[in-house]
Amino acid sequence: MMSSRGRGKTFRLVWLDAVLLGLIVVVVLYLWRRASAEVFYRWDWSVVPEYLFYQNPETGDWRANLLMHGIYATLRLTFWGTLIALIIGLVMGCCRVSRNLFLRLVSRTYVEATRNIPPLVLIFIVYFFVSSQIMPLLGIADWARQTDGALRTMIEVSFGPIALIENFLSGLLVLALFEAAYFTEIIRAGIQSVEKGQWEAGGSIGLPRYKVMRYVVMPQAIQRTIPPLAGQLISLVKDSSMVSLISIQDLTYSGTQVAISTRKVFEIWIFIAVVYFVICFSLSLVSRWLERRMSRGLQ
Amino acid sequence: MNKTKRTLVSLIAGVVLIGMTGAAWAQNTGTNLASESVIEIIKKRGVLRIGLDFFVPWAMRAKNGDFVGFEIDVGTRVAKDMGVEVEFIPTAWDGIIPALMSGKFDVVIAGMSITPERHLRINFSEPYASSGMLIAANSKNVPGLTRASDFNKPNITIGAKRGTTGVDSAQKQAPLAKLRQYDEEVVGMQDAINGTIDAYFSSSPVPERAVASSEGRLYLPVKETFDGSLESFAMRKGDPDAIVFFNNWIRLRKHDGWLKERHDYWFIGNDWSDQVDVK
Repeated sequence: MMSSRGRGKTFRLVWLDAVLLGLIVVVVLYLWRRASAEVFYRWDWSVVPEYLFYQNPETGDWRANLLMHGIYATLRLTFWGTLIALIIGLVMGCCRVSRNLFLRLVSRTYVEATRNIPPLVLIFIVYFFVSSQIMPLLGIADWARQTDGALRTMIEVSFGPIALIENFLSGLLVLALFEAAYFTEIIRAGIQSVEKGQWEAGGSIGLPRYKVMRYVVMPQAIQRTIPPLAGQLISLVKDSSMVSLISIQDLTYSGTQVAISTRKVFEIWIFIAVVYFVICFSLSLVSRWLERRMSRGLQ
Repeated sequence: MNKTKRTLVSLIAGVVLIGMTGAAWAQNTGTNLASESVIEIIKKRGVLRIGLDFFVPWAMRAKNGDFVGFEIDVGTRVAKDMGVEVEFIPTAWDGIIPALMSGKFDVVIAGMSITPERHLRINFSEPYASSGMLIAANSKNVPGLTRASDFNKPNITIGAKRGTTGVDSAQKQAPLAKLRQYDEEVVGMQDAINGTIDAYFSSSPVPERAVASSEGRLYLPVKETFDGSLESFAMRKGDPDAIVFFNNWIRLRKHDGWLKERHDYWFIGNDWSDQVDVK
């Protein structure tokens, strides 16, 4: 219904659109002139491709450079962070509406404790106290260091350089825990927004409570939570830049390094803004596609 | 009665037990200090882990992504002299001292100046470098000045990087001037070029490099550096072996001229600029 209306409407330029577009162009040109008259800055965009991919002048080989590594690191954090945060959020969200008092207490404590601490403080607490006690016990770093061949390549592709794997896991843990607290509340709200009648209807046909949750309530709740979840996901991408404090070289920190070294600060920051925009905008598009798909499935 | 007695016995047993552990500890302290020193850990691991952040020309990223700079030369040489591999761990400046304190790396070699506040939390080695302030001033706004105190006027605006010795120096030399603090040095210098601020205080050689590439929009009012500071290796407290080792390493490399030669290459010469400059 909604999609057919959207498709049927054709776009036509009317005189008001033309005037508005013209005005925007004039304002942009004016700002550009003012800026270039007062600012002495030699633009040199070659810094961006140079630090994205480096060509060895002797052998002619190309390899990924600092900015590209930064993009990978941010994508890795985004991917794993989303996955873990969604799992924690889903479990905790269900606990929030559970009939079991203990589960409600646990999830409520988690949400309030995490949401009301500044993320930087949380990073420091988890990295310096929790993970420096737990990680050596788990022996992940030692195990990763002695791997070789395909397994090692796989680990490096999914978690970054072996030497910093503990830092990466700690950063990931903090990011996931922090964002999952918001996910929890979004999912709780989604579950509670499903009308009471749905629960009663499920119960009246003899389904046990968990099956009502699984087959009746959850599908509706998930569909309603997709827009706010997507918003929180986009925050996750942008919050991931905090992990530079614990030695992870994400996009922001790599960009800072290049800007300091080359002094081409504007080009680098504009480029980084564009990359974040592309990542976040793709997430918005995926969420919109999911939303449409799920609403079709439910009808 | 019986109950009181039992309580008393267990109390005494507890005290004795604690006392014994204490004595055992005291006995082990001497040997533990040597074997738990970070120097032993580095030797066993075969890798020296160095924490650093990026400042021109202390540590930078070359066009091929490699670490380059004075700091990098020093760190690589220390590791070579110890017979171990070197691992540089870039960490944002705000996180560098906490990370050192919790053992994420063995030593910080990052152009860190000795300050009493920092020294209360960590140990510093003997200084391996010293640096001083210079000013890059806007040629149109404030022409013809020759001393740092010439900037001490209420109608002058000075820029400096937050949390650095540049801020301290600006406040000391020109307390009447307005001070604007920047998170990024490049941005502050850009403001000085545009004339948004009148001068920018920073450690040498940042001002000289900015003046050289500004096509006359900036000039150096003061030729000699002032408000000097001392840079040292930073390490965790309570490790006498580490501090002795690094102190003697620095003394030796000062004495044989290696440190001075490297320092002059990065701070006085400009042969390295094509490693990082795009053009």
